[in-house]
Amino acid sequence: MATTTSLYDTGLWGYLEPRFEEKYNVELDVIYAGTGKALEYGRRGDVAIITVHSKAREEQFVAEGYGVARMPFAYNYFLIVGPEADPAGLKGLNPEEAFQKLMETGGGSFVSRGDDSGTHSKEKSIWKNAGYAYEEVQPAGSWYIEAGTGMGPTLMMASEKQAYTLTDLGTFLIYRGKLELVPVVDKGDILLNVYSAIVVSPEVIPEAKIEMANNLIDFLTSPEIQELISNYGVEEYGRQLFIPCAGAEPK
Amino acid sequence: MPFIETVNLGQKYGERDILKNINLRVERGEVFALIGPTGAGKTTLLRLIDLIDMPATGKIYFDGVDTAESAKVRLATRRRMAFVLQKPVVFNRSVYDNVACGLRWRGMKGSDLRTRVDGILEMVGLSADKSRNARTLSGGEVQRVAIARAIAVEPEVLLLDEPTANLDPVSASRIEELVTSIIRHYTTTIIMATHDMSQGQRLADRLGVMMSGELLQTGDTRDVFTLPRNREVAEFVGVENVIDGVVVSSEDRVVTIDSGGRFIEAISDHAVGVEVSACVRPEDITLALSRVSSSARNSFDGEVRWVVSMGPFTRVEIDCGFPLVALVTRKSAGEMGLAKGQKVFAAFKATGVHVIKRN
Amino acid sequence: MIELWHGLTRAIELIVTLDPEVMEIAGRSLQISVTSALLASAICLPLGVLIHFRRFPGKRVLVSLIQTFFSIPTVAIGLFVFVLFSRAGPLGGLDLMFTPLVMVLGQMILITPILLGLTIAALSGVDKAILDTARSLGASGFQAAVVALREARFAVMAAVIMGFGRAISEVGIALMVGGNIRGFTRVITTAISLETSRGDLELSLALGIILISIALIINIILNRIQQR
Repeated sequence: MATTTSLYDTGLWGYLEPRFEEKYNVELDVIYAGTGKALEYGRRGDVAIITVHSKAREEQFVAEGYGVARMPFAYNYFLIVGPEADPAGLKGLNPEEAFQKLMETGGGSFVSRGDDSGTHSKEKSIWKNAGYAYEEVQPAGSWYIEAGTGMGPTLMMASEKQAYTLTDLGTFLIYRGKLELVPVVDKGDILLNVYSAIVVSPEVIPEAKIEMANNLIDFLTSPEIQELISNYGVEEYGRQLFIPCAGAEPK
Repeated sequence: MPFIETVNLGQKYGERDILKNINLRVERGEVFALIGPTGAGKTTLLRLIDLIDMPATGKIYFDGVDTAESAKVRLATRRRMAFVLQKPVVFNRSVYDNVACGLRWRGMKGSDLRTRVDGILEMVGLSADKSRNARTLSGGEVQRVAIARAIAVEPEVLLLDEPTANLDPVSASRIEELVTSIIRHYTTTIIMATHDMSQGQRLADRLGVMMSGELLQTGDTRDVFTLPRNREVAEFVGVENVIDGVVVSSEDRVVTIDSGGRFIEAISDHAVGVEVSACVRPEDITLALSRVSSSARNSFDGEVRWVVSMGPFTRVEIDCGFPLVALVTRKSAGEMGLAKGQKVFAAFKATGVHVIKRN
Repeated sequence: MIELWHGLTRAIELIVTLDPEVMEIAGRSLQISVTSALLASAICLPLGVLIHFRRFPGKRVLVSLIQTFFSIPTVAIGLFVFVLFSRAGPLGGLDLMFTPLVMVLGQMILITPILLGLTIAALSGVDKAILDTARSLGASGFQAAVVALREARFAVMAAVIMGFGRAISEVGIALMVGGNIRGFTRVITTAISLETSRGDLELSLALGIILISIALIINIILNRIQQR
């Protein structure tokens, strides 16, 4: 299985993996990759199942015939984080307004993942909703920094440069102690972050693995595991990391 | 003020003293030869004078300036000298570049440099080879390149370490000629080390005799050869007859030395009872088949033990109570028909005897 | 296998069309690694002469220590430089994190042991008398060092090439302290790692092929210089 970095960084997979292995008596190999790379692994048939968070690309992946179906199993929210001082004055705005303000008035740097990950896709769609083509954002100025790296390093860079960035909640909570960053914008429909699992098409991978991949989907959406997902991290981070949604697209 | 002066200079290799209390003075413009057997410390001393190594003890004054003052002084002083090492190495570059390097380091360039280097190459006879890689040269040619690049910088002091030691006789005499012409055409002060005492005699104004890390005697070339200070120097400078004895009488500076019942007369200030060595150079001894009355105060009868022909001379070893070596012309040896076992009379003047006090 | 072929054709296409982004990344790679190789050489070559020809206690230990550091992992240096220059670090005030300058610094640290070690090895073929001769002819310490290095020029050149090769091919330092920022600190290796994670294997391969080509061209040029 290939999983997006945020599900790995938060430790959710490390938590679920032994339970699945015990239940089905199977060895589960988890590969850590951004959404783009995870999808590529799927296309190449290197993995049997992927857990990612980029709706549009997931749908494209299924439409192209590489995946059987999208199965949302949990969600949380993205948020824009930045320096405590909030030099660009983004607090209280919605994501689109925040991006517009960054673009128009400046006053703050923004570190982009720049790696075609799910988070990067989300960032692009916010830019689109804010009324900018991504091609005009990239060369907008030295305040727009394309890190081309994972969520954790991107957060570290944003902290070093005292810049804003878009992050998923889980990774931010885990890195929070090492960062000089605080949540700036955390409300807005567009910030919804849905994790789904997709079984790779039997045309790409052997039949035998399909069965176990389906077992994994059943496992993820079972009430017992959904409960575990719901409670995961609450004790450690004092906040719910994932909201289970057992196969239904959240509203 | 001497041009170069060393004061109590000493050098150690680990715990071992390889140079002890060297007090040397060299005047500007003179040719000074350090002579002594291999291992006497000549190279060590030259390296110290050239400021390549730091001495363990003592001082070196160059033109009145203490060279230990600073690294800057040492470099500036070293640039007034040039040193040809005993086994010269050439840089892996052309002959021209080898000769030019010292000048380049001193900032010379352009046509000045070319003119100077070409002139020097002409002088040492290597003009035709100037583009060759110096690594491909023969031993004698390497030695010429080494001397050429040293004199190219027109040093005030030229240091030569055994300039002919590793060469065949033809190359050696060529190098010696080159050194002679440098001495004639430049006013450079030269300090050279050689284990060949005749070379020292031929080239130098003054000599310093070194043995076991010590400078035993310095002086005019003639003085060192005729008046060695002690037995070691005497033996090294070729005084083959060193006869031990005791002064038994002294009158008006004429002393009589008793050597095992044979009495040698000599000129000396040593008092009666002093243990001495009488030095007689083989060429100062005359041989005859019968006792002749001559002005020579000393005349001994003896038996020829060995006769060796040495070019124009014949070396004769005689036993006359003590061993005595004489050098006679080949002609007179032939006339006398000298052969082993023959009875001869050996005579030498009291003034031909140099008396050294024994330790 | 088909990807290798696509990568190759893509590489040729990107090079022939002088793709501005690829050229920019390749140019930056060259600029940063050449700078670090030159700066490190300027320090290591004279230092190598000093270490090789001077006698001092602990010399053997020092030399074997230098050799040990040949294989120091790039991420270890990346981490070290990161800790040093990050905002909370002792040199954080210089604000050098995620700049080409700090990448150069990291690469210099990386290749210093290689340059130093190989320079010392190169000089073992140089007679000590060469140094004495140079000094006796009036060379300053630095001029004498140049002579010794020139005597061993082929081996010294090889050391510099090795250092440059290690600098341009490393990814750990460039990623950790450079940050792979597009248009600023993105170099070939970090771009490859990014494109691979994006799933664009063809572009990754193309960049890899460009990297190898750069190494090849530099080797050819240096070989030519040596033959002269």
